[in-house]
Amino acid sequence: MITLDNVTKSYGTFQVLKGCSAEIGRGEVVVVCGPSGSGKSTLIKCINALETFEGGQIWVDGMAVRSAQTDHSALRAKAGMVFQSFELFSHLSILDNIMLAPRLVQKRAKDEIREHAKTLLRRVGLERHADKYPIALSGGQQQRAAIARALAMKPDVMLFDEPTSALDPEMVQEVLQVMTELAREGMTMMCVTHEMGFARQVATRILFVDAGEIVDDCPAADFFAGRCSMRAQAFLRFEADHPG
Amino acid sequence: MQIWSWHGFFTYLGSPYIFRGALITVYMTAVSMVMGFLLGLLIAVMKRSQRRLLSWPARFYVWFFRGTPLLVQLVVIYAGLPKLDIRLSVMACSIIGLTLNEAAYLAEIIRAGLNAVPTGQIAAARALGLSERQIAWRIAFPQAFRLIIPPLGNSVNGLLKTTSVTSVISMEELMQRSQILVQDQFMVLELFSVAALYYLLMTTAWDFLQRRIEHYAERPYRRQQQSVAVDPIELPVTTQDAR
Repeated sequence: MITLDNVTKSYGTFQVLKGCSAEIGRGEVVVVCGPSGSGKSTLIKCINALETFEGGQIWVDGMAVRSAQTDHSALRAKAGMVFQSFELFSHLSILDNIMLAPRLVQKRAKDEIREHAKTLLRRVGLERHADKYPIALSGGQQQRAAIARALAMKPDVMLFDEPTSALDPEMVQEVLQVMTELAREGMTMMCVTHEMGFARQVATRILFVDAGEIVDDCPAADFFAGRCSMRAQAFLRFEADHPG
Repeated sequence: MQIWSWHGFFTYLGSPYIFRGALITVYMTAVSMVMGFLLGLLIAVMKRSQRRLLSWPARFYVWFFRGTPLLVQLVVIYAGLPKLDIRLSVMACSIIGLTLNEAAYLAEIIRAGLNAVPTGQIAAARALGLSERQIAWRIAFPQAFRLIIPPLGNSVNGLLKTTSVTSVISMEELMQRSQILVQDQFMVLELFSVAALYYLLMTTAWDFLQRRIEHYAERPYRRQQQSVAVDPIELPVTTQDAR
């Protein structure tokens, strides 16, 4: 589904990604973890071309990301993204937020989009909030709406960039619950997160990133059983001592 | 000679000649503002462009039209165009001058608004596959517009009075007509007071209109009537869908 092949990226003289390679199959739930500033977010944003990269290549369902021929719009329709700060369009109602891209980008029939949007809102428990503006919703509700907005494009893969980092602990749970259900339904997911509990329960694989390199790439069970690099073990111990 | 003539004051206040001058002032302001805004939007977008072929002409435009007096611009248009065999009415010349001049200032206001749209909103739109054009019209412009309503209001208010500069090319708007009548009976104070009153009336009307526009644009950002639901557990449906 997604292939990362020796991806490199620099900001000036600072190399953020030092040759990252990985293969993510359909239906896999991959959690990307690692210390702050390690390049996790940059890596995931390279996949839908929100960030450019200078070396290597990424393929999403056979489409090369770093290519002049690539239709970025089509690429992004395949890969839904959820941001740390939700980024619901503040001037549009929740329903309009969800319906905007299917209408403008995919040009689907309005009635079908509306029905689909309402189904998605029901799924994330927000059907009664359809006509409200983002400001009237709590952080957790906004993030669930943002997930629905990404799902409205019927993506093949969902990318999450620290989806719960800006939320209160109680709200973290309601968002993780939606994500867990999504994983159970077989959605291919790649998720940058510090929620090790979620990773333990839901992830099929862990990518541990440190200083721009994928240090570990192993099944979640192995990772949490300690069959991973020393660096990752130290990280896990620290996370265990400092929950949240 | 009398110091102040109430009779004169009220005669001029009720004068259809002065009233029509005020209507001309409103007309020139409205047309120049709308056209100046559209031109300013174009210039603001060009100035923000990464391509120098676009940004440099825009920078030159703003530099030139903010750096020279409107009075000079009007005279150059009025006296210059006929030499190129372009014959336009005084009204057309006035509106062209006001539009070109106003666009330079509006471009900077619009640019500030576009810069203030959170980058995350743009990234989210990109991530959904929207084209740059769609992002501009659906996300950036609407959000920027809300932010720049107060300075745009300043511009409209200023322009209402700046239109009086067109009297230099003999445009018969409110101020010019007042000055013409001064020649008649030399009631300077009475006439200028009438003119001032008209300007106050026009700017006050604009104040009300601006408040309506602001109220409308702020609708998505008002919390009241939307009732913030903090509780993640869905409660039974109540009558809170007030809008």
